[in-house]
Amino acid sequence: MNMSAAVTAPVAIRVHDLHKSFGPVEVLKGVSLEAREGEVISILGSSGSGKSTLLRCINMLEVPNSGTIEVAGEAIRLKTSSDGRSRPADQKQVDRIRSELGMVFQSFNLWSHKTVLENVIEAPVHVLKRPRVEAVEEAEALLAKVGIADKRNHYPSHLSGGQQQRAAIARALAMRPKAMLFDEPTSALDPELVGEVLRVMRGLAEEGRTMLVVTHEMGFARDVSSRVVFVHKGTIEEEGPPQEVFTRSKSERFRQFIKS
Amino acid sequence: MTEPGFLDIISFGADGWGAALAAGAWMTILIAIAGFAIGGLIGTFGAWAKISGGPVVRGCAEAYTTILRGIPDLLVIYLFYFGGSAVVTAVGQLFGAEGFVSLPGFIAGALAVGITSGAQQTEVYRGAFRAVHPGELEAATACGMGRLLKFRRITAPLTLRYALPGLGNVWQVVLKESALVSVTGVVELLRQAQIGAGSTSRPFDFFFIAAMIYLAISTVSGLILQVTERRFSRGVRRG
Amino acid sequence: MDIRFALETFWSLLAALPLTLELAATSIALGSILALGLALSRLSGILALDLFARTYVFLFRGTPLLVQIFLIYYGLSQFPAVRHSIFWPLLREPYWCAVLALMLNTAAYASEIIRGGLLSVPHGQVEAARACGMGRFMIFRRIVMPQALRQALPGYGNEMISMVKATSLASIITLMEITGVAAKLISESYRVIEVFVVAGVIYLAINFALTRLVAFAEHRLNPKLRAPLPISADLKGETH
Repeated sequence: MNMSAAVTAPVAIRVHDLHKSFGPVEVLKGVSLEAREGEVISILGSSGSGKSTLLRCINMLEVPNSGTIEVAGEAIRLKTSSDGRSRPADQKQVDRIRSELGMVFQSFNLWSHKTVLENVIEAPVHVLKRPRVEAVEEAEALLAKVGIADKRNHYPSHLSGGQQQRAAIARALAMRPKAMLFDEPTSALDPELVGEVLRVMRGLAEEGRTMLVVTHEMGFARDVSSRVVFVHKGTIEEEGPPQEVFTRSKSERFRQFIKS
Repeated sequence: MTEPGFLDIISFGADGWGAALAAGAWMTILIAIAGFAIGGLIGTFGAWAKISGGPVVRGCAEAYTTILRGIPDLLVIYLFYFGGSAVVTAVGQLFGAEGFVSLPGFIAGALAVGITSGAQQTEVYRGAFRAVHPGELEAATACGMGRLLKFRRITAPLTLRYALPGLGNVWQVVLKESALVSVTGVVELLRQAQIGAGSTSRPFDFFFIAAMIYLAISTVSGLILQVTERRFSRGVRRG
Repeated sequence: MDIRFALETFWSLLAALPLTLELAATSIALGSILALGLALSRLSGILALDLFARTYVFLFRGTPLLVQIFLIYYGLSQFPAVRHSIFWPLLREPYWCAVLALMLNTAAYASEIIRGGLLSVPHGQVEAARACGMGRFMIFRRIVMPQALRQALPGYGNEMISMVKATSLASIITLMEITGVAAKLISESYRVIEVFVVAGVIYLAINFALTRLVAFAEHRLNPKLRAPLPISADLKGETH
C-alpha cells in the first residue's frame, strides 16, 4: 500500500534493541523495528520465534529486559527494581499508551459477562471517559463496519469465532487507536471463518491505519502489507516490501519458511 | 400455657409460640446474613492473598484456611464468645466499669460464623478466579485499564459469576452453623425452640417445628440463589 | 502464654481424646453402612426406595446437626412408647443419642459421595464383567465397588474430617469430649486463648493424621500412583 507515504510519514512505533528473556530462555535477542503511520507490517515466523512476544512488548503485556519502545515519539520509561527485574517506571504512562494502541488477540478475549455492544463501549466510557451516548453511537457504527451490527446485544458465547474476532476488532477500534496490534488474529478460527476476519483487516489497511500483524496468513502478508518482517530465533532475519522478499529473499530460512 | 397441643405451638395467638418462633427464625436469618457478609469480606481478602500475595502473606492465608478447616466451629464460637467477653471486660475496666461485661452473643456469633465461612469463601473465590479466562483480564490490561478499574469492571464480576454456585453451598452451611450460636444465649430459632421445649412437655414438637423452619429457610434461599445464578450467568461459557 | 497452665490443659484435654475418637469412629463406621444402603436405594430403580433415600438426604442435609441431636436426646422422651420400649436404656444415654444423631447425619452426606463414586464407574466395566460370566453380586463386589471406593475416597475423607469436628456438638448434651472439657476449663479459668490453642492443636493433629491415612489409602487403591508389579510377581496374596 501507500509506499510513498510510508517513507515520509512520521514514525508511529519505534522499537530499538529489544531483549526479553523468560527465565533462562532468551526469546528476543536485540530486535529493532520501525512502523510509520499508515504502514501495515506483517510479522512472520515459526512458533517460538518470538514474534508474539515482540508484539506483546510493544504494549507492555510483557516487560522487556532492555531496549526502548516509542509510541508516537513518546518513549515508555522503564526502571530496574530491587530484584533486578525490569518494570515500567510510570504505570499511568503505560496505561495511557495502552489506551492508544488497539490490541486484537488470537483467542478474541471478549469479556464473557458483557454483550458485544457493552464490550465495545467498556473502555471508551471507563478508560477514556467519553460520554456514554457518544460511545454507543460510535460503537454501533463500528459494529456495522465489521458486519455484526445485528449481534450487538448478544453475549460473546453465542457468536461464532469469526463474529467474536470481528467484535474484538471493533472493540479495539473504539479506542481510536494510533496503531493496531494483531496477535495471530485468525489462528484460532475454523478455516471457513478466516476469510471474514481477513476481509475486515484488509478494509482497515485500505483506510490507511497503522497495523502490526503477527500472522501465518501468507496471502495477507503478500497482498495487504506494506512490509514483511521475518523473525527467527529472537532476531529479525529478513525484512522488506512483500514483492521483494517473497520473490528474491537472500535468507535461505525465509525461503524454506514460505515454501512450507 | 402449661400443656399446649401441637397446633398451639405454631399458633400466633396469645397462648401460641408462633410469634416467638418467627422472631427466632428472623434472628437466625440475621446471624446467617451477618456471618456470611463478614465471611465474604474475609474471603475476598484471603483469595487475594493466596493469588497475588508475597510468600509471607500467602503463608498466613494458607495457615488460616488450614486451621479453620481442621477445628470445630463450636470451638471458634467459644473463642469469640468467651474471648471477646474477656477483651470487652478488660476494656471496660480500663474505663472504670466493674465486674464482668459479656460481649453480645450476636456479635460474637456473627464474628465466629464469619471467620469460619471466610475460610470457605477464600477457597470459593480462589477457585472461581482460576476459572476466569486469563485472556479476558489481559484484554482489560491492553485497553489501558488501571488496577482498580480492571478489578471493579472485569475481574470482580467475572469471578463472582463463577463463584455463585460455591457461594450457595457456603450460605447453606452458614445457615445451619448459625444454630450453634444458640450456645451464647442469643434467642435465635433453636434457642427459642429450646425455651419452648423446656417450659412444656413437648420437646419433640418444638424441635421438629424448628427443623421444618430451617428446612423452609434453606429451601427458599436455595431457590432464590438458583434464580440469581441463572440471571447472573448470562454469557458465561459452560463446559 | 503460661506454659505450665497450657501443659495442664493439654493433659486434661488428652484424657478426653478417646471419647472424641470413639464418637467419631463409631458414627462413621455405622454411618457408612447406612450410607451404602441409601446410595444403593437411590440407584435401585425402585421408586419407593429412591424416594425414601431422596427424602432422607433432603431432611438430614437441610437441617442443622444440633437440631437433630436435640430431637433425639430431648425430643424422643416426649413419647411414652419410646420411654417404655426396649431401646430406652440406650436412648436415655447422651452417648448413644450423640452416636445415633451423628451416624444418621453423616449417612446422608456420605450416601451422596458413595453414589457419585458408583456413578463414576463406566458402564463398559460392568459389561466386560458380565461378558466374563460374573453374576450381579460378584460384579458389584469385585468390579464396581473397588473402583467406586477409589473415586469416592477423597470426598469421604473430607466427610470424616467433618465428623471429627461434629463430635464437638456432643458436649452440648453433656458429653465431656475434647470441646466439652475445653468449655469447662474456659469457664473455670477464663483463660480462653490457652485452652483454645491447645484444643485446636489436638483437633488439627487428629485431622492431619486422618488426612494422611486417607492419602495413604488412596495411594494403595490407585493403580496410577503405584509402581507396576514385577512381571514374575505371583498373586498368591490375592484371596477370594
